[in-house]
Amino acid sequence: MNTYALFLGCTTPTQVIQYELSSRWVCKHLGIELVDIDDFVCCGINQINLNQEAGLLLAAMNLAYAEAKGLDILALCAACTGALAEAVERLKDQETRDRVNGKLQAIGLKYNGRTQVKHISRVLYEDVGIDRIKRKIKRDLSKFRVAPHYGCHYLKPESAFEGFDDPDNPKSLHQLISATGAFPVQYESLNLCCGGKSFPVSKKPAFYLVQKKLDNIMGKKIDCMVVQCQTCYLMYSEQQKVINGRFRKQYNVPVLLYPQLLGIALGGDPINDLGLNLNAISLNNLLAKVGINKQL
Amino acid sequence: MKQDNSQREPIQVSKLDPNFRSEVIKHKDARGLNACFACGTCTAGCSISEVFPEYSPKKLAKMVKLGMKKEVLSSPYIWYCVTCHNCEQHCPQNVKFFNILNVLKNMAAEKGYAPSPWVEQTQQIMQTGIIFPMDEALMKKRKSFFLPTLRGDGKKAKKLIELTGLDKIKAKK
Repeated sequence: MNTYALFLGCTTPTQVIQYELSSRWVCKHLGIELVDIDDFVCCGINQINLNQEAGLLLAAMNLAYAEAKGLDILALCAACTGALAEAVERLKDQETRDRVNGKLQAIGLKYNGRTQVKHISRVLYEDVGIDRIKRKIKRDLSKFRVAPHYGCHYLKPESAFEGFDDPDNPKSLHQLISATGAFPVQYESLNLCCGGKSFPVSKKPAFYLVQKKLDNIMGKKIDCMVVQCQTCYLMYSEQQKVINGRFRKQYNVPVLLYPQLLGIALGGDPINDLGLNLNAISLNNLLAKVGINKQL
Repeated sequence: MKQDNSQREPIQVSKLDPNFRSEVIKHKDARGLNACFACGTCTAGCSISEVFPEYSPKKLAKMVKLGMKKEVLSSPYIWYCVTCHNCEQHCPQNVKFFNILNVLKNMAAEKGYAPSPWVEQTQQIMQTGIIFPMDEALMKKRKSFFLPTLRGDGKKAKKLIELTGLDKIKAKK
């Protein structure tokens, strides 16, 4: 059994709890043990904007807490994964690590460079593996045509991810979707960013980027989009509704978080295990396709 | 997207800050700037340049080299970056523009140009440890799904933030 410290981040446990719920359920179902560390704080990614050192210290603080328990981190948010993995990379430099540890001393912590960071999808892809996932499938999702969305920080900066997938031509999420029996649809704007990271400062770029991707995938006769980061989820799902109102559009693309899709295939309860009732765009039509006729 | 094609004012050498470049490159994270040969691959791949032609990694790099300190640090566009890392993904010189931009944003924040959302998030982290408040309604909702309670303690994060001076950064009015 593989054991990880579960890094929830800020947004998932407060705004998108269905991601947390379905991740916990899927991990339990597939033999990944998750340990909660309630000393964890924000990964520091947005603080980098104002003060690089502060962002690095927050990341290092989290790494140190996981290291004290002898655990690697499993993160749900792509951006947390990117920020923490980049911190691991920066802290390989002895001079940087000594400087950071000098400051961590003030709160009684030290990071020795042992704890590593992986995104939940990477853990499912590498630790559980596509074949083992396939053997556990209980519901037939072969009628689902799914548009994958990776999330920028899942694979970038490239130097922080040991080349486990190619950021320019990524495959891992496609394969994870295939493993559930669903069909991953290829589309041109696959690597387009959701715009979430500067959304608090300016909505305009994000509204443009979200519409560009939705326009692209709407032409591909898809049943839903699958994301692996709660910020991407909020941009394509909650903001899809905002965009419909503000720009008089009629987008109607259901968005699932990957553990929710996998959870459906593994036979999870749509509400209690996967929180599908909490998703912003109705999933009733999607679920009817696999014989779940529950009105969420 | 409507583009602003009007010609800019000529650059006045007397208004440039010749020390700006070295001030930036002094930071280890920005040293890559010296390797940039201004090919523009960064801008070609930029998610934001397409929407806001005013924002261009290539242009910013050139402006730093010329010493256009005030123009760079006061530009609202430097905050529009979505951090997609595309600028550095195909850079033939392996310049990490994402890191250079962070150096510029850090300098701009020191000069009083920090956007309020980032300052507010920092204040929140010092309270709850994360960028959101935690209230009764949230705890109730989490409980109804049998999710563990969140501790919401920002004291240690606050201590670290204070060590860097980030707590002193004021938002642009």
